[in-house]
Amino acid sequence: MSRRGLLIGAAAFGVTGAGAARALSPAPRVAAVDWAMLETTLALGVVPVAATELILFRKAAVEPPVPGQVADLGLRGSISYERLLAARPDLILISPWYEARRGALSRIAPVESYAIYGRTEPPYDASVRATARLGARLGRPDAAAQAIARAEEALDAARAALAHLRGRQVLVMNLGDSRHFRAFGADSLFGDMIGRLGLKPAWAAPTRFGAYPTVGVEALAAMPEAIVVNVGPTPPSALAGVRDSPLWRALPPIAEGRFVSLPPVNPYGALPAAQRFARLLTDSLSGVA
Amino acid sequence: MPDAAARRLRPLLLWTALAGLAAALSLGPILSGFSGGPVDQAFLLYSALPRSVVALLAGAALGLSGALLQQALDNPLAEPSTLGVFAGAQLALGLTAAFAPELGSLGREGAAFLGGAAAAALVLALGWRRKLDPVTVVLCGMVVAMVASSLTAALILARGDYLFALLIWGGGALTQEGWRPSVAIGVVLLLGALASAALARPLAVLVAGEASARSLGAPAPAIRIAALGVGVLLATTVAAEIGLIAFVGLAAPTLARLGGARGARQVLAAAPAIGAVLLWLADGLARQIGSGEAIPTGAATAVIGAPLLLWLLPRLRLADRPAAAKPSPRRNTARVLAVMAGVALAALAAGLMVGRDPSGWTLVSGAAFTELLPFRAPRTLAAASAGAMLAAAGVILQRLTGNPLAGPEVLGVGAGAGVGLAVVYLTGAGVSLSLQTAGSALGALAALVILLGVSGRTLGPERMLLAGAGISALCLAGLNAVIATGSLSAFALLAWMSGATDAVGPREAMAACAAAVALIAPLGLTLRWLETLQLGAVTARALGLRVRAASAALAGLASLLTAAAALIAGPLSFVGLVAPHLAHASGLTRAGPHLAGAVLVGAALTAIADLLARTLIAPYQLPLGLFASLLGGVYLMVLLRRR
Repeated sequence: MSRRGLLIGAAAFGVTGAGAARALSPAPRVAAVDWAMLETTLALGVVPVAATELILFRKAAVEPPVPGQVADLGLRGSISYERLLAARPDLILISPWYEARRGALSRIAPVESYAIYGRTEPPYDASVRATARLGARLGRPDAAAQAIARAEEALDAARAALAHLRGRQVLVMNLGDSRHFRAFGADSLFGDMIGRLGLKPAWAAPTRFGAYPTVGVEALAAMPEAIVVNVGPTPPSALAGVRDSPLWRALPPIAEGRFVSLPPVNPYGALPAAQRFARLLTDSLSGVA
Repeated sequence: MPDAAARRLRPLLLWTALAGLAAALSLGPILSGFSGGPVDQAFLLYSALPRSVVALLAGAALGLSGALLQQALDNPLAEPSTLGVFAGAQLALGLTAAFAPELGSLGREGAAFLGGAAAAALVLALGWRRKLDPVTVVLCGMVVAMVASSLTAALILARGDYLFALLIWGGGALTQEGWRPSVAIGVVLLLGALASAALARPLAVLVAGEASARSLGAPAPAIRIAALGVGVLLATTVAAEIGLIAFVGLAAPTLARLGGARGARQVLAAAPAIGAVLLWLADGLARQIGSGEAIPTGAATAVIGAPLLLWLLPRLRLADRPAAAKPSPRRNTARVLAVMAGVALAALAAGLMVGRDPSGWTLVSGAAFTELLPFRAPRTLAAASAGAMLAAAGVILQRLTGNPLAGPEVLGVGAGAGVGLAVVYLTGAGVSLSLQTAGSALGALAALVILLGVSGRTLGPERMLLAGAGISALCLAGLNAVIATGSLSAFALLAWMSGATDAVGPREAMAACAAAVALIAPLGLTLRWLETLQLGAVTARALGLRVRAASAALAGLASLLTAAAALIAGPLSFVGLVAPHLAHASGLTRAGPHLAGAVLVGAALTAIADLLARTLIAPYQLPLGLFASLLGGVYLMVLLRRR
């Protein structure tokens, strides 16, 4: 039995054990301060009463769609406690990044923290675990099992579709301007997914929280075999700039047509972001040899 | 005269040697690693060579820009950043990235020029009434720059999607991937050189006097405006293509004059050459120290340029003009203080009671008030405490230096606190509040000690402001370098730079209040010092004051006050300048009432700023520092218009 199988089993067990009795009870009023938990809540079919920075979420994470009735709590770095209070949540979901604000948040409702990017566990496994835990907490164990199964299916389908590229090096990056990018390492959600899809993450240097900030594009010269995947949001001027750039065009991965650019995906997301990434990657890499 | 010839030759030799060093630093690694493969060729042709070329061209452009601005304004402190040109360009580029990201590079250059020119025009309009007196112009420049910077910081925080690009740009990275930026800067530099050649003689005559300039056939304002326009265009083109490169525009002409260049023509010729070598050298060093992109070149230029300038400062011939103190209106002290206390109380009450929900503004009372109090009280109290502390620090600094325009923000003390804070963040040790306070206090103290050290005995306003600008630029460039890494500490620092009160809990608020009381109360014992020191060191000594000890104690207190306040309000607030000034202008001239009034005004200002930050575009909260600097900036602008 694979490690993944074990995880699913464990998740399903936790889910059925804890949640069966109140499977149909109404879900608590949830406020998702952390974006990964906003995704996870929506993936469980529960609409949160409030969440942070929805204007940007709809643009930079895109999926899952956030219904209009969800109250916007403002910037993730500067949460409007007053709006949160007005939303009357029963439960507030955070990640360790918001630990400093736990005191103020817990005056409003009980706070629960879910660590997906805790650097102890690959982000995908942590997302599966968080989904199962939240499903149990919200009385939606079946929905959690389904969400995990959907993600597994998407992963399997993507792996099959990418079989022709098995073992190839893939650099996942985010272009900042026409001269710099952020590289996503093996410990990021994208790097983790690359490995699970049968490919090899190309960024070997150490990362800070999954992404190595600010690399000059000439670094691509050191990975001539790699397939280069840019994940949005990318400023249109950066994409136009690299297209006009002689250095960029001379770099082997680009010169040989191994560059694809994906629409925005939340790099610090959970299962919905992982699925979105797998789907977009498969679509865009189908033509790459 | 062999001596004179040698004296002229020495700077030339020095700069040639430095250019050789720069060449070795930037070309050495390329040539040693060159294997001749197609990728290496492309790298050499499209990355390494253009990088050296763009460093030379951009350095020359900035040097020429600084020289033109200095000549046009007859102001040794003028450069793109002190005139607000860079901050204006940064804001314009930020707005472009946020709202018109599909704009091409020509559009970006145009936007940068418009932003930079608008900022410079605003600065000059503000300084016009005082005949573009250098210190006034620099002060106006700082006001405009700080307001624009906090708007940009708010924009970056609010527009997460293209955040990364804005961060890189702010750091001033010279990495190249082709020749387009070199060509763009080269073309503008050529235009600038032609214009300078035409303007050199009129500018030289202009310095001699406006009347004789008119005899040249062109009116003096037209000559000045033409030179300013060219200077701004050069600086904003570099800003749009590369990013913020601080200090080259200030250092190059200054070093040219110190190297013996005399008159407009010589300075205009020497400054671009020196600027080119400076930036090339800075880029080479940045690449040596930081492998890859660890250190943005823009930060490196400030790290090299600012200490150089601080070292040169005491050796620089500046006309130190003591600011003439305008007699303040005589008013009833008690009545003025009562009004100020009333305003402060009203501001605090508004901070606790006024809010905004989806339907509009609200005024809460009763149960709703009690429910919201735990969220509003800490931030309002912390903001007011920070304002009070900044105001007290401002009173000390204004009296200590005899300079009515001194303040912890203007003199770089606040930015010093930021560097201390950055060091604490970077060491990664458990970032406790006390550790943050300690780091911030040490940073502020170091900045103040350096400032008082370099300004020497005279403490004339011009020298002091120049030193303060140097320290500020150095510190802010260092902070930019940390922020440009995009790490977690970067976000903490960015949030701090714009002044964030939302993370303040009851514990932090109590600490801020306690710090305010503990640090402001002892000032009551120093009132005699504050009274006497303002009369000048000689008089104070004659009155039996141990000037050195008293100054040191007061400087220490001012740093602690600034550090504690900066943790809450960030470095860019102006409260420490505005509150003491306003109190003094209201007739509170004696030390005691001055201090009390300033503290009340400072508390009111920050409490109002926090209220605006919380409500204006709720639920999206803006940084406190933004509104503090806007309120303070508007006051200063009105003040400078009137004087």
